[in-house]
Amino acid sequence: MTKEKKLSITIDNKKLEVRPNITILQAARENGIYIPSLCAYEHLPSYGACRLCVVEVDGLRGFPTSCTTPVEDGMVIRTDTAEVRSLRQEVLKLLLSEHPASCLFCGEQTECKNYQGTIRKVGVTTGCRYCPNDDRCELQLITEKVGLTETSYPVYYRGFPVEKEDPFYDRDYNLCILCGRCVRVCNDVRLNGTLSFKQRGKLTTIGPAFDRTHLEAGCEFCGACVTVCPTGALSTKVSKWYGRPDTQVGTTCVYCPVGCKLILQVKNGETIDALPDYDSPVDQGLICVKGRFAIPEYVHSAKRYTSPQRLTPVGYEDISWDQAIDDAKERLSGIDPGDCLVMVSPQMSNEDLFVAQRFAREAMKTEDIFPLLISDLGEDLIPFLDLVMHASPFDVIGAAQGILSIGFDSTYGFAPIGIQVKAAAKNGAKLAALNFYESNLDVLAETAHETEPSRWAGMIDSLARAMPENGAANVVIIGPDVVFDPGRGAIFNKVIALRDVHKWKVIVAHPYTNLLGMLATGAFPGIKPGEALKKGGSAAAVKGVPVYPDLNKRRKVVYVIGEAQIDAAPPCDYLIYQNGLPPEGGLQPDLILPACMFTESSGTTVNAEGKVLPIQKAYEPFMKSQPDWWIVSRIVERMQKKAFKYNSVDAIQRDMKRQIKGFFSMKKGLEFGKAGGAAQSRGKRTMKNREDRYRGVPLASVVTGMKAVEERRRHE
Amino acid sequence: MPEAIEKIFKQHGRTSDELIPILQDVQKEFGYISPESVKKISRYLKVSENQIYGVSSFYAQFRFTEPGRHGIKVCLGTACHVRGGATLLEVLERGLGISCGQTTEDKRFDLERVACLGCCALSPVVQIDRDIYSRMTVNRLTELLKEYE
Repeated sequence: MTKEKKLSITIDNKKLEVRPNITILQAARENGIYIPSLCAYEHLPSYGACRLCVVEVDGLRGFPTSCTTPVEDGMVIRTDTAEVRSLRQEVLKLLLSEHPASCLFCGEQTECKNYQGTIRKVGVTTGCRYCPNDDRCELQLITEKVGLTETSYPVYYRGFPVEKEDPFYDRDYNLCILCGRCVRVCNDVRLNGTLSFKQRGKLTTIGPAFDRTHLEAGCEFCGACVTVCPTGALSTKVSKWYGRPDTQVGTTCVYCPVGCKLILQVKNGETIDALPDYDSPVDQGLICVKGRFAIPEYVHSAKRYTSPQRLTPVGYEDISWDQAIDDAKERLSGIDPGDCLVMVSPQMSNEDLFVAQRFAREAMKTEDIFPLLISDLGEDLIPFLDLVMHASPFDVIGAAQGILSIGFDSTYGFAPIGIQVKAAAKNGAKLAALNFYESNLDVLAETAHETEPSRWAGMIDSLARAMPENGAANVVIIGPDVVFDPGRGAIFNKVIALRDVHKWKVIVAHPYTNLLGMLATGAFPGIKPGEALKKGGSAAAVKGVPVYPDLNKRRKVVYVIGEAQIDAAPPCDYLIYQNGLPPEGGLQPDLILPACMFTESSGTTVNAEGKVLPIQKAYEPFMKSQPDWWIVSRIVERMQKKAFKYNSVDAIQRDMKRQIKGFFSMKKGLEFGKAGGAAQSRGKRTMKNREDRYRGVPLASVVTGMKAVEERRRHE
Repeated sequence: MPEAIEKIFKQHGRTSDELIPILQDVQKEFGYISPESVKKISRYLKVSENQIYGVSSFYAQFRFTEPGRHGIKVCLGTACHVRGGATLLEVLERGLGISCGQTTEDKRFDLERVACLGCCALSPVVQIDRDIYSRMTVNRLTELLKEYE
């Protein structure tokens, strides 16, 4: 590509060289010149609604809006003349004539700020508090910048009731300035189309069709509208009154294998909110409801363990870590390898998984590492692993000519994949959707079928035949509804045939977050660290073969790490339960070890594309909680096994680098060999319906809004 | 209904700029834009239902409720207003239990106000369906409504 020719323009007497094809507003911002603006937003198309960014341009009539005027060579622009300033003030006054302004113009403002929190026996807040966005409001900032100190128009209060019936966020359209950011982000970025302007003129409001609730109208609750809202009109239910966060921490969401980047908003050592990063290469900021809204309530759930606990005849007693480690050591020492089973979860970090498998293999000398997905998938595990280990990166969707989506709906999860599918369909790719219920892709699909999952496998061939001839330009997406359906085996085999014979690309949207990390780090029965990875470019078979732990044999000790569905574990004499929240079902663990959430411990996770992504510790662990690797290391240490002794994540990563070649250095992501072995079904559990979980605990059981979302998903 | 709307679709392309012509045809055919029609149009044009509603609610010409069997229009132009049009409207609103722009629950009447029907000499004027009633009084109006079922 030839180098773009720079344009020379003058802004406020400053000569500047700028890129072509940008607007005056962009040029000004890139060069540190401030122009106030409310409707423009970096990641949204230009709109020109608020009229605050007006400037003077030589040779152009009137006052063009800088957010819609492209720069031209030799342009002379003035952003701060007296006329422009008074025009902006007038525009802002008109804008504020429909927005409560007591936080903007008030004689008591300084006193109000200084004495808002008063010290009494009970917490008292003085001053006006009808907007949760105080101190974070763009309107406040702009009023200050524009220099408006009073308004001459009467303020018209529109008198709408605050809409609180939907989960996750509240809407107070009395504070709305109709800048259209939410409508544009919903339609142009999320390609969802839940929000639109209704009516016109004075009666304009924002919302879905026919006075439906957002839930009914197909809202994804991705929170993009809340993120971009410049006022307090849209606010997160859980965190609206927290004010400004103390710090922000970038991390990776571990709720599903997409691996979206999250920017955790931290205040007083707690996550108060999680925001998307529009510059993240994996997800482009297109996070789903789980990443956006389901984190604070989960990681700070009131049900979290505060201390290690021991089961006594009269209930649980709190004990110290020292005692807890001692108890574990007592039970784990001197037992036969076959008497111990270690249950692990794909929602643990690579580091935790690596330490867990070392514990099983080196301290306990057992291969009985049990990830629940073995019994979830039963006989279909091998084809499933084959698909997952050789899945394509998400960006193949963008170039696809034909897309076949099976049991996939991106309303409440896998949003970055779903939005890419929608974008491809809008650009002319042929989309066929196969679902039980109506899916959110159906509206853009060439053909959409709503049928029983048992019929899906039989329909794949004819749907694939209708796709463009060049198989390499086609993508098939398997959704969680396939993974959780008993008929999945036939579908997996059809898809493998499409991949191997017709060169189709495959993307699997499954619920097992760090499954690839689990395979790479060897936290999988029969597959040792690094064995699953492709060696030296050859597509050789994986050296290890999955072996299936016997789930009916009674064990002396079952050690559950990061999993809550313990009723799936084999019967045992002594159950060690290491997790943040209590387990499901009636089983009472004998020893409870409180573990960290992903916000409290650093590490890495591998997403469905094979990319190793960082998990960042945002604050100190809750109460006496400790990272999984720390707990396991202490137990091994106490058992006086010389196996390993880790005191930091760095030390674990050093060992991982040594044992798993290329783990942290593969640029394009991890590449896997071909999984072999015969399929067996040793599972004793029947598949539960698909419900989003973290470390085995259903999100809906701790996060208020997720219940409504799950019900909607099941069409209840 | 499915055949009728399919027939309308056949006359239009599948691009979003056909939205308003389609909405107009749907309203002509069914008298209003129902949620079901919006869903059908959404699938046909590949535009979300909410966006279609946003566009159609912008224009006064589209309505979203089934029209009544008879449409009552009360003129509130200057002359009619002076000669008591507003009283007529108020009586109708109270008598039918609906406000302007709504339809009675039994779908018998639609009530609307118009700015001028162009026959100010006959004021106050009320139009029911296609008939114009001049020099209307409250009593005559109440009697008149009985003729419409």
